[in-house]
Amino acid sequence: MADGIARILAKSTFDPEAFIAKLSAGGEDALLDLRQKVHALNEDTAQALKKNVYKNYSQFIETAREISILEGEMYQLSNMLTEQKSLMSSMMELPLVSDKAMVEGPKEETKEESPEEETRRNLAFLLEKVEGCSSVTEVPGRHLVHDTDLVELDPETHIQIQRVHAFLLSDSLMMATWVPTRRGAMRYRFQGLYELDSLAVVNVRDTGPVKNAFKILMFPETRMYQTDSAKSKRQWLDILEDTKKKKALKDKQRKEAANRLSDQLSLSPAMSPNGDAVPPGSPVASKEEEPVTMDTDFLQADWLQELPEDLDMLIAQRNFEGAVDTVEKVTEFLQACPKGPALKEFKARIEHRVKQLTDGLMSELQVSPERSLRGGPRAARHAVTQLIRLGKSAQACELFLKNRSAVIRYNIRQLKFEGATTLYIRCLCTVFFSSLSDTAKEFLKAFPDHYGCYSAFVIWAKHELISFVSIFRRQVFESKASLTTIAECVQLAKKHCAELSSIGVDMEFSLASMMDLPIQQVIEETRDQTVEGIRYRAQDEMWRPMNLQNKNDCDKFVADMKKTGFDIEQYVVDKCFVSLTQATVQFAKSSVTMVEDLMKLYTIELESLIANTIETVVMAQLAQIQSALKSDKFKSERPTILKNTQFVAEKVLGRIFELYQQNDLTCPRQLQAAQASYQQVKQ
Amino acid sequence: MSKAKAQQPAVIHKVIMVGSGGVGKSALTLQFMYDEFVEDYEPTKADSYRKKVVLDGEEVQIDILDTAGQEDYAAIRDNYFRTGEGFLCVFSIKEQESFQATQEFREQILRVKNDENIPFLLVGNMIDLKDQRQVSYEEATKRAQDWHVPYVETSAKTRVNVDKVFYDLMREIRARKMEAIRQNNGKQNKNRKKKKCVIL
Repeated sequence: MADGIARILAKSTFDPEAFIAKLSAGGEDALLDLRQKVHALNEDTAQALKKNVYKNYSQFIETAREISILEGEMYQLSNMLTEQKSLMSSMMELPLVSDKAMVEGPKEETKEESPEEETRRNLAFLLEKVEGCSSVTEVPGRHLVHDTDLVELDPETHIQIQRVHAFLLSDSLMMATWVPTRRGAMRYRFQGLYELDSLAVVNVRDTGPVKNAFKILMFPETRMYQTDSAKSKRQWLDILEDTKKKKALKDKQRKEAANRLSDQLSLSPAMSPNGDAVPPGSPVASKEEEPVTMDTDFLQADWLQELPEDLDMLIAQRNFEGAVDTVEKVTEFLQACPKGPALKEFKARIEHRVKQLTDGLMSELQVSPERSLRGGPRAARHAVTQLIRLGKSAQACELFLKNRSAVIRYNIRQLKFEGATTLYIRCLCTVFFSSLSDTAKEFLKAFPDHYGCYSAFVIWAKHELISFVSIFRRQVFESKASLTTIAECVQLAKKHCAELSSIGVDMEFSLASMMDLPIQQVIEETRDQTVEGIRYRAQDEMWRPMNLQNKNDCDKFVADMKKTGFDIEQYVVDKCFVSLTQATVQFAKSSVTMVEDLMKLYTIELESLIANTIETVVMAQLAQIQSALKSDKFKSERPTILKNTQFVAEKVLGRIFELYQQNDLTCPRQLQAAQASYQQVKQ
Repeated sequence: MSKAKAQQPAVIHKVIMVGSGGVGKSALTLQFMYDEFVEDYEPTKADSYRKKVVLDGEEVQIDILDTAGQEDYAAIRDNYFRTGEGFLCVFSIKEQESFQATQEFREQILRVKNDENIPFLLVGNMIDLKDQRQVSYEEATKRAQDWHVPYVETSAKTRVNVDKVFYDLMREIRARKMEAIRQNNGKQNKNRKKKKCVIL
């Protein structure tokens, strides 16, 4: 029936009004009937829904998690793309927008440190725009400072001659004429290149019809150009002046450096046996020329000239390996090269790129929130290897380890604390120690023969261990878990830690030393609690044998006790009585559990504490027995008391000794003494 | 543009102001150009001015290149000097050093132009500040005589002799140009005459 209703309700053409009208015609009974059916249907549906949810629950959780991860990664991806896009657009704008260059005047100064960075790019752009300027772009170190469209005027008559585009380079001014018939990028033809040294600039005041003009005197020509605005002209004059000054300064520095070098070189000829003082002017100058030409020749090779550009490209493509290959090759080559200022300059250019390369590699290893940490340690190896090849093993090592720390932290954070402490600790140990061993293995692979870095690894491992222990401590010791749980957890950690020694990392002693104190505290707490328990139970102790009512239950109890390691068959009386008291049985159980746990925690350092703890507990029970024996109240129960005493002395202590033996430990003397005092009670 | 050209006088006399920094080259130029005196001193880089003037009834253009007294590079100064047809070599009468510097400028100009008779005026500026005079009139005149050039004392502030130095120089330039035309071979002379005839 319910199915019928469900079918009716599920129909797409269901009309509630007609349905109700039809039913209400049947009277109250039909309605009640319907109500019941609807109710049943409702329940069924809820049940089915619940079942379905449950069935797919784990899948659902898994999917949700994956989706959230995917979402995060998509977000990162879109971020990276935006970044890339803005980078591209700024690169596109850079050589063209002269106004911007002016507005960012002060910034230009800071950029000055690495002007070569953009050199190649800018000049390559010239090649595409200006016909016949290849010779201009070949000069190393030259870069574009400023460029705009200008109108060339006749300097005499001020008549417009043609449209030109002026490119101010760092050391010269290039003029290119506009070719009106051209289409595409190549709109200009190379007109001339003028050295800044011999170039005079004249500001033509706005008198008469010509506005915003300036003259360039470059012997034997005089050229006059008109800008489109007063601002643009001001820019040109300022930038020309500025660039000239910078170039002059650079030339001066270079000259000084060359002089210094030649002074050193000429030191020996100055000491010539003739004793003639070398005239300071000419010979020095000639000597200075010599090494310069030599090393310039040496650097003239095609592949060397293109090398910085190639390096730029490789770095941009993130082909770090290729870049490092190139750097190694050139370093080797330059070693054979004669020393000179040109070499120095070239080296500086290479060095600059090496720095860029290093930065790139470092950022590869950098831990940043927007980077996914899901890559394994092998992901980092690539960058590390290249960094080592560049001779930056220390940085590589530091970054690699930092990266690993982040990965470990991330993985640990991924663990959810769900339910049992032991379960969580098991996962934690697995994650942590496997990460550690992965890292160690990877480290050995990535840094072979870099023994200096090994100490860094050891320190790192210690550091990681400390943070691991702090998590461990928070979860295990501070959660008021039982000794059993704690012992299990500690055992787990120790076991994992011991496994590390297979890869040559032995950290058991540091783990032990870090855990010793909390373990001691836990043991002491447990001891006090157990003693407290003994006292508490003694208050209600009547020293009566346990009555288990029937044989069945009695057998069950005996079997139960057997499982915990006690054979109590000899204490069974009349098939349903056990001559042990409830308190004794509980003492037996709790003390044995405690000893078992203590055995798990056993270390040489804790040996005496463990023995003392067991002794204290055992003696506390003895004290109860003794006071019971002395008490008049229990005079009639003496046989039972003695039986219990015997049980503790033989079975419980016996079991404790057994546990000691199982762990290959000798039974401490004080426990044997305790057994002796029990036996004294018997007599 | 070509229309504008038609209105412009064809003759351009190119004058260059030379002298040490701060002697008043720009002040003289601005006074000549705009009839104004600029108190504030701001070192010039290199400014060029052009003005239509009537020289002895003839409309001409004067092109003044006001150079930087502080220009550091001799090579660049050469470039300026090459474009000039006549020079106003300015010093300050209250500054002996600037007077001494004129010697150097003279030598450089002669070297660049390779012409002993280049139109050239020695100008002692700041005559309004006679009380601070360090360079005597006799001293300056003597040097001018040695160079076979006129010496004129001016004041850019009070406009004394400002027009005179420019016009005198332009006359010299014009005279030189005439001479050059005369010295040219007959063919060109003929051409000129022919052209003249057409115009007439």
